Amino acid sequence: MELQLQNLRKQYGRKCAVNNVSADLVPGVYGLLGANGAGKTTLMRMICGVLKPTSGSIRFNGKTMEQLGEKYYARLGYMPQDFGFYPEFTAREFMLYMAAVKGLGKRRAKKRTEALLEMVNLSDAADKKIKTYSGGMKQRLGIAQAELNSPSILILDEPTAGLDPKERVRFRNLISDFAREKIVILSTHIVSDVSSIADTILMMKQGSFLLQEPMSTVTDSIRGKVWEFFVDERAAEKCCREFSVVNLRHENGMVRLRVIEQAAPTKNAKTAEPGLEDLFMFHFGGENQEQGVKEYVGKI
Amino acid sequence: MLAKYEFLKILRKKSTLAVMTVSLILTGFLFGLPVMQYQTYNQDGVIKGAEGIAYEKRQYAKLSVSLSDEYVAETIQEVQGLFKNPDNIGNDGNEQFLIGDAYWNKIAPREKLLNLIANTYSNPKDIRGYNDLPDLDIEDGASFYKTMKGKVKTLLNDPSRGLSDKQKEYWGNMADQVDTPLQYGYYGGWEIIISSFELLMFALFAICIVIAPVFSGEYQAGTDAVILSAKYGKTKLITAKTAASLLFGTAAFILHIIVACAPVLIAFGTDGFDLPLQIANTAIPYPFTFLQAVLINIGIIYFVLLAVIGLTLLLSAKMKSPYLVLIILVPILFIPMFLAPNGTAGIYNLTLFLLPYRSAMPEFGKYISYQFGGLVLDALTVRAVLYGFLTIIMLPLAGLGFRRHQVS
Repeated sequence: MELQLQNLRKQYGRKCAVNNVSADLVPGVYGLLGANGAGKTTLMRMICGVLKPTSGSIRFNGKTMEQLGEKYYARLGYMPQDFGFYPEFTAREFMLYMAAVKGLGKRRAKKRTEALLEMVNLSDAADKKIKTYSGGMKQRLGIAQAELNSPSILILDEPTAGLDPKERVRFRNLISDFAREKIVILSTHIVSDVSSIADTILMMKQGSFLLQEPMSTVTDSIRGKVWEFFVDERAAEKCCREFSVVNLRHENGMVRLRVIEQAAPTKNAKTAEPGLEDLFMFHFGGENQEQGVKEYVGKI
Repeated sequence: MLAKYEFLKILRKKSTLAVMTVSLILTGFLFGLPVMQYQTYNQDGVIKGAEGIAYEKRQYAKLSVSLSDEYVAETIQEVQGLFKNPDNIGNDGNEQFLIGDAYWNKIAPREKLLNLIANTYSNPKDIRGYNDLPDLDIEDGASFYKTMKGKVKTLLNDPSRGLSDKQKEYWGNMADQVDTPLQYGYYGGWEIIISSFELLMFALFAICIVIAPVFSGEYQAGTDAVILSAKYGKTKLITAKTAASLLFGTAAFILHIIVACAPVLIAFGTDGFDLPLQIANTAIPYPFTFLQAVLINIGIIYFVLLAVIGLTLLLSAKMKSPYLVLIILVPILFIPMFLAPNGTAGIYNLTLFLLPYRSAMPEFGKYISYQFGGLVLDALTVRAVLYGFLTIIMLPLAGLGFRRHQVS
């Protein structure tokens, strides 16, 4: 099973939302990372066939989406960001409706609906109207509908947005359960969501893939560039202006800084084990640094 | 299965119940007004409501007759006789009329019939009453049907109608199909229904309000991405949405027709369903009974409804919000209400008679026809064909609009 993205491009007037993106995706969990506006959602919409690329193609097992038609959509599960529900429907009705749209037979639809509602812990609330659901319950229902047809390609766009930490952990576990033998593309800007479950990291910046690396080696490129050191508060402000600060913590009247730099920022700086968040900041830190400095200066 | 869910989606909305309730009450009220406001007169004064209707029907019981030439001649002679007695005559300075028992006993119970006879003999541009009957010369018989045909011919030859020879031939042939002698009788309920058809425009708009979110509601709710990326999202779902909309539209239309017609027919009775339209106006060329005329016009309004549903779905597929759909629909449905025809010829009038609001009005006696080369079609046929065609065109376009929708 292979999903090929070939030179995908989406242009809105002068703005290029997705620029010549290519990738060969095989079963596994892909964490799609990028700052807001990087083109993640646009890319996912194109993969799901709800947004037409300006150029390029998407092939599944060698055939284009257009050639496959309904067969492609039959193997797709999609949970868009902030997607709506039918407030007057109960969760069970919504699932059965989605099952019908996905072409499931009556018996299978019922069976999958019950199983998935159980799996996402919504069995007890299955006959309640969706308008009475909390944000977390809606998100769980969202992933349940995406999984209804046991898709080969599962696209999840910011599935943990707006969830509390407990819900996010539960959600990550659900995704791990669903991910077996599937191509799962999980978009988020919450790095910790993907670091624990992704096999591969796809990082997008300004519409292009910045990197496509296995999770195990994705941080190798910044090994030796992540530093930690202590400074006083006045120096911390200066450091925030000069360096790419990943983390800042007050400890015993001092400030512990974690920065990404090619060379040691201070004499007492020690290298640290790089994480996905460091990598994210390494690539996107510049975009957020000005804001970060303002916030820090505002606090002190 | 999908259509069932789509139908449920339409029905479950609180707005559907609210809009339909308001629309049904409004339709019932508008069609019920003639019942509530009905009044007739006799020597003792005004008789209102059900009592008035019952009184009128009793008067008509004596008038369920075949309008043979002999009967018409006798009736005219009878009125002429009444006018010969000066004690029966009143005068307002302009015209003479009957007064006292002569009017209340001999004219009032059948004034409508007498006016019908008088108007058959009149110049097409004049409106006559029973007091014009004394001027008629019927020494050689009434020749009522010969006069009726002659009047139709005069109407067709009126230059202001701008009818071609082909059109005149078409209407002449149609008028020839009217069975004579005409059977007269009571037709009060049917007359009210036929003259109130355009009030159903509110029902059509209410149906559009409910249908407007079928596609655009998905965009607005943000469910478009999920359903369009599902197996049948771009195929069977569109068919299901269309079928559910048509099913809802049809069911709601039937309900409105029942609410509109039932009170009128209960109050006035179904009497006259099998009587010819010509007993209301002898210049009408359509050879229909009242029931046929009502059913045919309901059929045409249904065709209008289908096309309006098609247009609503098309706009719904193209617009991001149901409100935008309604903003476009309101002028299409209601602006023609304020446009009056200035005749029956010319592009303006001929177009106006085809717009949804005017299409609800049957205009049986106006000789509105359309010529396409050698082919002449009357307004009713053109409306049916036009709106049927628009439905066939717009429903697939609506589907295409949704299929091509880009989630953004």
